[in-house]
Formats: sequence, structure tokens, C-alpha cells
Amino acid sequence: MNMNAGQRTTRRLAAKAAPSICRSCRDSISRNTYATAAAAAQTEDQNTSSIQHIPPVHAASSATSYAVNAGVVLSRPPLITRDLHPFESAFFLYQRRLNERLALPFTRYFYFKKKTPADIEWKRKIKQRLTPARDIGRYKGYGDEAWNDELLVGAQESEIQHQVERLLEDAEHPVIGGSGEEGTEVEANAEGSTKAATVVPEGSAKKLVDDVIERPMPRVTEADLKNDVKSLNRMLQRTLYLLVKDQEGRWIFPQGRLIKKESLHMAAERVLVQSGGINMNTWVVGNVPVGHYEYNFRPELLKSSPNPNEVGFKTFFMKARILAGQANLAENKFGLMDFKWLAKEEVEKEVQKSYWHSVKNMLAER
Amino acid sequence: MALRDAPWRAASALCRHTRPAISTLPPSCRRNAASQAAAEVESTSSFAAPPPSPEVAKGFDPVARSRASNKKLPPSRYQYRSPKYYRGPLHPHQPPPKSDPASREFQPGPFSLPRLEQTYQSTIASDLLTLTYTHFPPGYRAPVKDKRLREWTGDSPYYKGRPLRGPRGGSNLRLLTQPATFRNIPEITRVTVHSMVPEAQDNSGVLHVAGMIIQAITNVRVVSHKARHNVVGWGLREGKMVAVTAHVVREDAFHFLAKLVDVVLPRIKEWKGVPGTSGDNSGNITFGLTPDVVGLFPEIEANYDMYPPKMIPGCHITIHTSATNDRDARLLLQSIGFPFYGKLVN
Repeated sequence: MNMNAGQRTTRRLAAKAAPSICRSCRDSISRNTYATAAAAAQTEDQNTSSIQHIPPVHAASSATSYAVNAGVVLSRPPLITRDLHPFESAFFLYQRRLNERLALPFTRYFYFKKKTPADIEWKRKIKQRLTPARDIGRYKGYGDEAWNDELLVGAQESEIQHQVERLLEDAEHPVIGGSGEEGTEVEANAEGSTKAATVVPEGSAKKLVDDVIERPMPRVTEADLKNDVKSLNRMLQRTLYLLVKDQEGRWIFPQGRLIKKESLHMAAERVLVQSGGINMNTWVVGNVPVGHYEYNFRPELLKSSPNPNEVGFKTFFMKARILAGQANLAENKFGLMDFKWLAKEEVEKEVQKSYWHSVKNMLAER
Repeated sequence: MALRDAPWRAASALCRHTRPAISTLPPSCRRNAASQAAAEVESTSSFAAPPPSPEVAKGFDPVARSRASNKKLPPSRYQYRSPKYYRGPLHPHQPPPKSDPASREFQPGPFSLPRLEQTYQSTIASDLLTLTYTHFPPGYRAPVKDKRLREWTGDSPYYKGRPLRGPRGGSNLRLLTQPATFRNIPEITRVTVHSMVPEAQDNSGVLHVAGMIIQAITNVRVVSHKARHNVVGWGLREGKMVAVTAHVVREDAFHFLAKLVDVVLPRIKEWKGVPGTSGDNSGNITFGLTPDVVGLFPEIEANYDMYPPKMIPGCHITIHTSATNDRDARLLLQSIGFPFYGKLVN
């Protein structure tokens, strides 16, 4: 330590006079007094750069204090991909059609040996859809009207649902008699699938029976339609957060007071079990909080409280993910009355404004 | 705490009285960089223009219109070939930019928004930040470290202009890991798939098959490599083509990794995972796949018979991440779904 005598004295005085001051505060006090000496401004920088960090320590017995709570932001991450913006899907389709235009023609001779089932199957499919790609509609890059390669406004090929249907159809139905024109193709396919059993050669007909492609699950669930906010199957594209209703009827994230020397991570795990029950498989992410909320008790309440030194509480929120299970408030120890699984914008409507301001930045947009 | 707050409290109390209750200046008079730029932005958007009415759109038939008109467009109006060579900035015929579909170098894409990319953005990135974040209280000064490159100290006059000496114990400087913030969350930058087939020196067909397979599973054109030296032990002869590599980036990389994690790796029998000792100390992790595993890729499996028997090669896959050490890179890969086994070396 190459500090001068004046600073050392201030430090010692501060340490003697007020033992309740925490070390970081004491450090900053001595630095403040030192900084008042304008002449020594230059040397201050040099000195403090050599001072190592002193971690902040809580005051042992300060006049006022805050209770420390551990909060848990329990979330269910998105389960499915998001819906594309119309511009995005239009752009992707445009690029796929452009790729079809610029790619070299498909070399069947390389990929399929002659007269193998795969070769026959390929010939049948290309005869039906007339384009190597399956989901972009008819693309004709050759001939007199090759210039007419753009989809028109409102073409059904640009709808995602249509593209998905084409992919599925190609995977399962051996279709015959699909005409080149897009407008009539759907009807033709519907007829074709009924014809298929009779007209298709034996190999493909067997395949039809064997390969029943499973349809994708709907992106909108029953819970979405009913708006069942207690279900975890709601809003599959969004992150859902567990919100509970406490004794005073406020919607908050589950929280509980730290016990003794418990760490925030351990406290978060305990709070989860004590509020949501044991039927939740959860993972508390990391050891650091992602946000905090500070609440000051009202002065009139403070007078009547048993511990008037405690002026409020601070809640430090730990991030947690739910992997399986569901919340059950039957045996909770915090007097919670109700719970909801809500997306970010729904959380805003439920919680108080001051709470929202300290909480909003730790919630994911999606 | 109270002592420290006291002067600030006093200052804010004074300010409170000096500040007028209502600002006399209207908010529009504030000059920010953003407000200045806002004036230059056009107030109307092209999206504001209504789309053509349904009747007009439905009745529009470009083919019928072109047939009805007797006037025929000259080919120069719709056919364009960009010049094959770039002949300098002063040449009258300039090739169009690479982003123009008429350009010879144009590559279409992207074609989709990969699921893995969306998961990374919505879930993995924020979790990684929470996991790796280290809190430094305000006022924290990082301890000053010694310079990694040493000065030349001594009497020799030749020390004067010399570049600095390397670190003790090794010649290479490792990457520095900065504190984790939202700006430097590790992400996947690219994937390299590499397959070496020394048999190709005698039978070039092996190299062609290897190239076709790597192209099929990565959707990227491969680059082939020659042996640079004679290595008798490995049977390598200098100048012979022995390997193929595909550099996979962006959309293709995400699709490739998702395919690997969700389809191929779960089907390997008794696979322990990626070795925990893998990694190059700067956040790139490599592992290998045997020929029978490469055969499990859906693209290969769909027409397995197409490839000549016993010519399907194994491959090495290097996943390059923006992490600066292997620990963070492994954390990212684990969150994507790669298992690691054995001793984890950082």
C-alpha cells in the first residue's frame, strides 16, 4: 500500500468510529475524502488502480435494512417455431423459386439406377408435379413462356398450409392425373388418391398402405381456444411465465424470504417446491439473479410493525425452466391463492405497474 | 450507506426546488441524434399503398396479355447476360453486384428460418448468459495483469527494435475471455465437415463418392485437397487428391446440426458422446463419425443403394463457435443437445 498518511488516518478513524459501516462503504468514504484534495487528483487514479476489489459486505447492524427475498421466474420456453411474418414467408418462397430457376437440372441418371423402384417412383412423381422441388408449385424455366415464372398475387402456393400439404402429399399419396395447372390440382389429387389403389403398380400400392405419414400436430391447441391460462399447452410459440396470486390478491412471481445462510439458488429451489408443489421438474438456471424488485413499506405500516428497522424488502429473481409437470398450490406455504401461465404481454396486464417496471426487462419477447 | 447517500440527498433536494414544475420548452425542441434522423425518414411507407383490388388481381393473366398483344418484346428487353469477367472499374460493361439475381455469382437464399436458430435466439442464448454471467459490483477495477508479450531486456543494442518476446512456456497466445455480456454470448459461426480418403489415390471413384456424400449431407459444395507431403506410414503421396471439405455456414449449418442431433446421433448404437477432451482451446470442437454412422443421415439412407458399396467414408466435423475457450463452447453444444463423455478438458 502506497497511500499517504492522510488517507490512512481517515480510514482508521472511520473504522474506529463506526464499526457498523461495511467495508465497501468505508473504502468509498476514504476515497471521497481523498478525492476532495484537488491537487492530488492525478495520484488518486494511480493509487486506486492498485487497490484490489473489496467485495461488498452487508452491514452487521445498520439502522435500517431490507429483507432479502428470492423470487423465481419459472418459464416454459417456446415449444414450436414462430409463425413467419408474411414478408418473411413471401421472401423465402421467392428465394426457393429463384433457386429452382438457377439450379442445374436434376440428374436422374446419377441418383437413380435404371428400372429400380426408386427410379420408377421418381418418374411418376416428376410427371405429376413437373418440378423437382415439392413445395413451390409449378416452375417452368424452359419454353416460350419461361418468362412467366412469378407467382401472382393471392396464389395459393404462397400459403404455408398449402406448401405443407404438398410435402405431405408427396410423401404419402401416389397420385396420378394431376394436371399441370395449379388451380385444378387439388381436386385432381383428391380424385387421384381414390383412383390410386387400382391404377398404380403393385409396388407403389403396397407403399401407400405402409407409409401413412403422420400429420403434424396443430399449432393452435385446445387450451388456446379455451384460453385456459392454467395449461402449459397454451401459446406454444411463446415463453410462458408462472404467476401466482398472493394473500393480498396481487399477482407476483413466486417468492420467499431467504433463510439463514441459504444461497439464492438454493432458496429458489425451495421456493419452487413450497409454492408450486413437488409435481414440477424444474431447473434453476445459474447462480446469479436476472433482476430485482424493491419494495418500501408505507410509513404508517412501518410504525406498527414489530421490526421498524426493516423498511422494506428486495426480491432477487432467479431464472428457472419447467421441464415437466404442473404447478399445484394445494400444499403451498405462502398462502398463495391462484396461479397462471402467462406470456409477457399478459403479465403486464396482471401485475402492478411498479412491479412491471422492475420485471419487464428480464422477460423474453418471444 | 447513509453516510454515503447524504451529499447526494442534499444535492437532489436542492435541485428539486430549482427545477420548474413544468418544462417550458416543448418536447419537440429537444435535439437528439434520433430526432434529427427521424426528419429525414420518409413519412410514407410503400406498405401504406393498398394492394391491388381482388378483382384486378384475379383478372390479371400475364400469358393472355402477351398473346393478345401483337408487339413482341425484343430479346434485349428481357434477356441479359452479365459480362463473364470483371475488367476494371473504368470498363463500360460492369457486372451486376453479387446480390443481383442476374449476376453470375448470385446464390439464392436463405430459404427458411431454421428451428435451431429460433431456439438459440429464444431460449439458449439467454440461458447461456445467465449461466456464464459474473457480477462485478460498481466500482470494481479488474486487477492489472502483466503484459503477455515480454520486452527484451539486456545490453544488446539489437534488442531495441525487436518485436516483443512470446509468453513463457509456449509460443502461442491463447484467446482472452472477456466478461460475459449480452454482446458476446457464444454462438455457432460455422461447421466444417471434412473427409479424408487415402484410397482415392489409387481409385478416384472413392473421392467422388466422398464428395457426393458430404455434399448431400451438408448441402454445400465441397472443396477437395491434395496431400501436401509424402507420408509413407499413412500411404500418402504428395500431390494426390485425398480429402474433401465442406464449409457450412448460417442456415445450412443450423439445419446440419439439427439433423445431426435429432436424427443421426440418437440412432448410433452405444455411442458415448463427443469426447470431453476435444477442442482446440479457442472454442472449436471436433469429433468424428464412422462410415456406418454417415450412412444414417437421412439423405444417404433414402437412397443408400445409389452409392457404390464400401465407399461411404467417415468424416470429421468441426463446430466453430464464437466462444473463446472450450468450456463455453461445450456449454453451447450441450445446450444444443450434444452429449460429452470422459474428462472435460478446458
